[in-house]
Amino acid sequence: MNSNLAAGLAMIGAIGPGIGLGIGFSKAMEALGRNPEASGTIFVPYILGLALTEAIGIYCFVVSLILIFTK
Amino acid sequence: MPLAASESLIHVSIKAETLFTIGPLHFTNSMVGALLASAILLVASWWFLRRAAMVPNRFQTAFELPIEWLAGIVAGSTSRWRSYVALVIGLFLMILIANWLGLLPGVGTIGLVRESEGGKELVPFVRPASADLNFTLGLAIITFVVFVWWGVRLHGPLGYLKELAGEPRYMAPLMFPIHLISELSRLVSLSMRLFGNVFAGEVLLATMLALTTAVLFVLPLAFFIPAIFLGLELLFGFVQALVFALLTMAYITLAIAERQGGHAHDESAAAAGPDGAPAPAHA
Repeated sequence: MNSNLAAGLAMIGAIGPGIGLGIGFSKAMEALGRNPEASGTIFVPYILGLALTEAIGIYCFVVSLILIFTK
Repeated sequence: MPLAASESLIHVSIKAETLFTIGPLHFTNSMVGALLASAILLVASWWFLRRAAMVPNRFQTAFELPIEWLAGIVAGSTSRWRSYVALVIGLFLMILIANWLGLLPGVGTIGLVRESEGGKELVPFVRPASADLNFTLGLAIITFVVFVWWGVRLHGPLGYLKELAGEPRYMAPLMFPIHLISELSRLVSLSMRLFGNVFAGEVLLATMLALTTAVLFVLPLAFFIPAIFLGLELLFGFVQALVFALLTMAYITLAIAERQGGHAHDESAAAAGPDGAPAPAHA
């Protein structure tokens, strides 16, 4: 019971990466709108940035999974 | 307490189950998945190389286009790209096949029924390899060894330590542990990202299947809902494989480019900053 509650609380940490991913995506789209030819150049740093931001959310997720599924 | 495995429709186990034991070796179902993925990759490449022609037909082009696209990205990183392009593409293909293997019907649902303390429990024969931390950590260790090796090879062991100590020498006692931890955290984040994503995908699919099975009496068309998520997982599997390969490339690029006195972007279209943030790329 307590560990399920803790797992839920751990997922609060996913708020930050969510906002960060939104900012990253909106900036990438903005850049693409200004300069459509740059899509090839933007793509790789964009994917890397999203991956590194998303990793923080994944940490929260892994922590909460461990709290739920390990006894 | 979590739901007992026998009562729940959702089969979730955070660690791979042991199928059988040979001496000290526990042969787990994720090892079956990894071996299956390797076998698919080996057979596909053998079959493909046997009939590869200089002038490709349409089928060959369909296979070569994505690989050439990835090779093009790697070629834009540093001038030494030829020595690590095979690693990057190999990692990409291996992870891609391992991820997509988990989406096939039968994987995770066909298996042995075994008695456990909570009741009966299903032990699947095949588990997608990347939903096991051992597999992803193994791949991350390969990446780690390669980029540290590149750093040591180009700077020498002493130069590599100096690189870790940072630029103003008097800051070294503070910066050395920070740089050391940031190097090691790449290992953790690489493996955890892949494991977390693929495992989350598995849990999501299992949950959606259980939910739709529960409401199927009311909404017969609910059968199509898991299909949407299967399509989503197809995309995520591809993106995560790409992310792992591109991060490997970025870390190796950093290890190589640091030697050129901070002019990392002379020839690189894609390089990440020292803290992992994507740096602006000069064309």
